[in-house]
Amino acid sequence: MYRKQVRRRRAVLALLIVGSFVLLTLTYQGSRGLQSGVSTIFSPVQSVADRALKPARDLVDWFDKTFDARGENSRLKSELVTARTQAVAGQEALQENAQLRKLVELDRGPALASSPYKEVIGRVIYRSPTVWRSSVTIDVGSGDGVHVDDPVISGDGVVGRIASVEGGSSQVMLLTDHESAISGKVVPSGVQGVVKPEIGNPEDLILDFIDSTKLVHGGQTIVTAGWRAQGLASLFPPGLPVGEVTKASIEDQEAKEQVDVRPYADLRNLDLVQVLTGGSRG
Amino acid sequence: MILTPKILVRMIAIGLLGVLLQLSFFSRVELFHVSPDVLPALVVCLGLLGGSLTGAVSGFAIGFFVDCLLVEALGITSLVLLSIGYLAGLFRERFEIHSSLVPALLCMGLTLVAELGFAAVQLMLGINAPVSILIVRDMLLKSVYAFFLGWPTYLLIRRILRPALVEEPRVRRRPQPTVLGA
Repeated sequence: MYRKQVRRRRAVLALLIVGSFVLLTLTYQGSRGLQSGVSTIFSPVQSVADRALKPARDLVDWFDKTFDARGENSRLKSELVTARTQAVAGQEALQENAQLRKLVELDRGPALASSPYKEVIGRVIYRSPTVWRSSVTIDVGSGDGVHVDDPVISGDGVVGRIASVEGGSSQVMLLTDHESAISGKVVPSGVQGVVKPEIGNPEDLILDFIDSTKLVHGGQTIVTAGWRAQGLASLFPPGLPVGEVTKASIEDQEAKEQVDVRPYADLRNLDLVQVLTGGSRG
Repeated sequence: MILTPKILVRMIAIGLLGVLLQLSFFSRVELFHVSPDVLPALVVCLGLLGGSLTGAVSGFAIGFFVDCLLVEALGITSLVLLSIGYLAGLFRERFEIHSSLVPALLCMGLTLVAELGFAAVQLMLGINAPVSILIVRDMLLKSVYAFFLGWPTYLLIRRILRPALVEEPRVRRRPQPTVLGA
């Protein structure tokens, strides 16, 4: 009797393991119908859960940020001195910018002003629980005009791109996902490269394949390059802020042709994002 | 565990609630830059209470549901969670749980195993980017969080599934009669 039980138990275990491998094979063959169905059914439930749990999330965030704030205080004080100097110079540029914007009647950001993109606002409803996959699910989908590969941005900068779309939800592959790679450009030097992630470190990206003959310095800004060549075009419009160069040693630039970049968008605490629909599909 | 339709419904409800709570709460909060993962702890608790078969099946089902909701490669989470569910069940079948610390410690240990398993599967499937050393911190902190999450999770699930649990009747100690003059 006991042996029969053990045999049955082992058979079920073997069946489940084989089932997992079959599912894995099916996924890599491109079959995602089942996932779409489940995701569509549960997306309204998740939307409600997301809103209901927001106060609890905010409470935990408050504790976490209080811990962080203590350590950051001294660093921020020194940054404030630098920022004040820059702000004075920036005021003048802002005034000039406001006048110019009025002149050309821009109601959108400079990177999007001349592009064919339309913005769709989405709210993050799920987040992947593992650091190996960096993705979030938002509550807008094909019904709202969202397509696969549409760029996704937040108020701070580029967040990622749409990886898959359902009726009322979409999966966003964040900049920190191992499959993510976008073409970036250092301003003002114009050095171009590919912005890639470092798995497990959401605060660090890498600008890879840069021209080692031109030096990049810490503090410089990386924006999307938005290239266009031989009928192909980048998914991202040019000039969207991506991040800031944090570490640019000469050794890394010459030997590895890369520099470290901190993304502007807070990819760990996303709530509202904008999907840029109607652009190029690569 | 005595599986009746009522208990099965309760277990499905536990799984659904656990996954929804993980994806919309635990995955989106961070303590020391790491998000807690309650799902391995949940599967370990189900395995500890229901045995190896229950642990494996619930691990597979919960993993499958997570992968479906996240529209990610099916089978990875199922494979990892079914393994730790089975291991937790085996522990329950072979050893006695004498201390209330055991479930929490098992949650911690098996969450670490799950994280290592997940890393191994992901690396085998191919990662096109450098891997940060911070991933070790993530794994260790997730295991520590699992210790604290495992305790209440175990007590809660035990309470919900109590009618189905086969428990040894507790041996009551009779008060020793007082012998006068001894």
